[in-house]
Amino acid sequence: MLQKKICMLGAFAVGKTSLVRRFVESIYSDVYQTTVGVKIDKKIAQTDDREVALVLWDLYGEDDFQKTRWSYLKGASGYLLVADGTRRATLDKAISLAQRAREEVGPLPFIFVMNKCDLAPDWDLEPDWEARLAALNWTTLRSSAKSGEGVEEAFLQLTRKILAGS
Amino acid sequence: MTNFLQEVLTRLGYVFLEYQGNAEFRLLSPAPRWLSEVWIIPGAEGSIILVAEKSPFLADFLDKADVLLSSDDNATCQSEPWVERSPSGKEIPLQALALHVNGKRYLALQSPETQFKERAQLLQTARESLLEHEKLLREIQKKEILLHCIIHDLSQPLSVMSVTLDCLAEEPVSKKARRLLDLGKHASDQQMSMIRDILQVFSSDLKASIDAEKGADFTANLLQAARKVIDAFTPVFLAKTVSLRVDARADPSANWLVRGESTRLERIFSNLLENALRYAPSGTGVTIGLSREGEFLKAVVDDEGPGLPADLSPSQIFSLFSKGKESGGKAGLGLYFCQLTVERWGGAIGCESRAGGGSRFWFRLPVASQGEKTPAGGDAPREAATHDTMSIGKGPMRILLADDQEEIRILTTHQLERRGHHVVTVANGQKALEALQREAFDVILLDEQMPVMTGLETLKAIRKQEKKHAHAVVIALTGYNTDPDRERLLKAGFDGVIGKPFRMKALELMLRGAADTTQANLSAPEEEAAAPAPRSVADLLERVGGDEGLLRKMARTFLRDTPKRLAEIQKAIRAKRGEKLAFFAHALKGPVGIFGAEEAHQHCQDLQEHGRKLEFSEALRIYDALKEEIAELESNLRGYAGQKGSPRSGATRSGKRRVLTSKRKSR
Repeated sequence: MLQKKICMLGAFAVGKTSLVRRFVESIYSDVYQTTVGVKIDKKIAQTDDREVALVLWDLYGEDDFQKTRWSYLKGASGYLLVADGTRRATLDKAISLAQRAREEVGPLPFIFVMNKCDLAPDWDLEPDWEARLAALNWTTLRSSAKSGEGVEEAFLQLTRKILAGS
Repeated sequence: MTNFLQEVLTRLGYVFLEYQGNAEFRLLSPAPRWLSEVWIIPGAEGSIILVAEKSPFLADFLDKADVLLSSDDNATCQSEPWVERSPSGKEIPLQALALHVNGKRYLALQSPETQFKERAQLLQTARESLLEHEKLLREIQKKEILLHCIIHDLSQPLSVMSVTLDCLAEEPVSKKARRLLDLGKHASDQQMSMIRDILQVFSSDLKASIDAEKGADFTANLLQAARKVIDAFTPVFLAKTVSLRVDARADPSANWLVRGESTRLERIFSNLLENALRYAPSGTGVTIGLSREGEFLKAVVDDEGPGLPADLSPSQIFSLFSKGKESGGKAGLGLYFCQLTVERWGGAIGCESRAGGGSRFWFRLPVASQGEKTPAGGDAPREAATHDTMSIGKGPMRILLADDQEEIRILTTHQLERRGHHVVTVANGQKALEALQREAFDVILLDEQMPVMTGLETLKAIRKQEKKHAHAVVIALTGYNTDPDRERLLKAGFDGVIGKPFRMKALELMLRGAADTTQANLSAPEEEAAAPAPRSVADLLERVGGDEGLLRKMARTFLRDTPKRLAEIQKAIRAKRGEKLAFFAHALKGPVGIFGAEEAHQHCQDLQEHGRKLEFSEALRIYDALKEEIAELESNLRGYAGQKGSPRSGATRSGKRRVLTSKRKSR
């Protein structure tokens, strides 16, 4: 079976681990648990007529305490870039991480996910954030690991994007 | 491996595998339970395991380790910790060590559960604190804005009520009507006092900034703040292919210290840069320029975007919730925050379209110097006395009043004209400037918050124009009537400040001060105009319009409620409940003030402050002193109220001249 390595990138506490758990195990916990190191999960995804084994590398979120290890991105087929709609600084961090990823490992397929859409009334974003990202040719989705909205779609869309490019 | 070594390594939590070639590893000791759990292997010593198939992380790690081990016969290579989930869902932390020893390659694995948990706990705590901090900052900003909106909304109608009562008080009215007017006036004064208390107590951010501003080290480096923010924003700007830089002419060796606080200064730059980025087209640049302007340092943020929105004036752009029709901005709080902060620090902020295209947002802050004290000690407001002052006679004055509230304009004009002054009123700063072009005025009264052009902007324009002319006496009318606000306005260049709602007597005193060209400070009439504390029952009776029944009722209410309040104060001190102490001390302060018990009033004020600051060491001593004062007051009031238990009960008319409390002792 075809196997693809996918990394999760984003600032800390944006919900990367929660998205993986929702996708892999269909569960969600409200309690924030920081990720130390890397968490590896696997999931067989069905896209159109193909089965793909996705190996999900949930990298710890970047902040002053832990910097992203770009070597983990080597060998990856693509990545899911995550930000938290309630914290506008995480969008800036995502933009900065995408640029850094391109410098480190070259162009890789990725999907941008604005997470926590269940808290959309509390989002602290500029109204034109999607237009701003569209101008960068980013594929953007809204998701909620809590409700499950957009989660499967994000991983499957990324898988299709990876397969289309391979 | 010897049995001894095997035993030691097993006890240390390691399991060793020897590389056999073809991606195969051989277990040198029985696999521990955690390894069997995560990989589901038989685990017997000598078992062959395809490690890369079992763990994608190890496959990646061994690839990288291989490069190092191939080049060095005795090299070791350690992985970062990682977590694998067992088929049963258990998360198992792992760490690997690859070694090259005597021509053979080994892989050592361990599950550092304890260290992993400790590290996770540490990171968890640090990140939760960061999240809390971010949340708190957002809350503070929201609260500050809300607070200022509330203060403004509460103050405006109150001003109208207060001035209306002043106007009515000057009409010939019956004794009964005068009593009612006095009561109304007293209530409106009380409400204004409560508004000020709200501002002081609930604006923790404001209080913190006031406290900080009083410190000698309340300084921030403008150039450093600009550079720090540029570093943070560069990736975001690059993503939009907009360049970002500090103007090369900013000399790093110059003094860039301003009065301010560095975190908030960075927030100001951040807000201005975000704003610039929003409008800057791809391929253009944004430049931060820094320069010195007299006693101020000025920062400009220049972009090459479309310029300022046509539907908004520069002053509207900084107002609360302001957004251009075509803008993609946020709620309109960022620039409002900048304005609040810069002006609080004694600076100014503005924006303009640039001649060559694009817009310029600028702000300026006072230069910080060694040994600088509070803003009150600044030079700017006192400079007024050294200027040539307009010729102001002691008779009627020509007064220009700019206020956007029509009721205030009508009522204030009515009162000033009754006193023989000539008054011209306008609704905003722009119109005030136009009026000043047409005729000269002795005094200019400017409301701080006006549409089109604020009081501060108008003042700046007036001061700019007057460079070649005589100094104009400009008095600020403000709803933000706290000491720091008065200091801020004086520092900005006003000759005097009067809080709204103001007593006409206070304004009259200030106008007299303006007429006296030797008087430099016009900002203290509030105290001078404050009604004197009643010293006797006769004073009190006069205050309530001669209504003895009402006065007796007030005395009985006081005697009924005071013991309960005192008990609550004592309880709060013993329980060390600062909030309650402040609340009950405040509740008692008003009534003792009414009865002219100055010493007791001061004790209440002190207790209120101690409660707010959660300082209890002196509180009991002050409480005892307060109790003593109250006992004296109660004794006198019992006599007047006709209650039993007082040697002075059954007061006669002569008793009306009795002193209510001891005179205030020197402090």
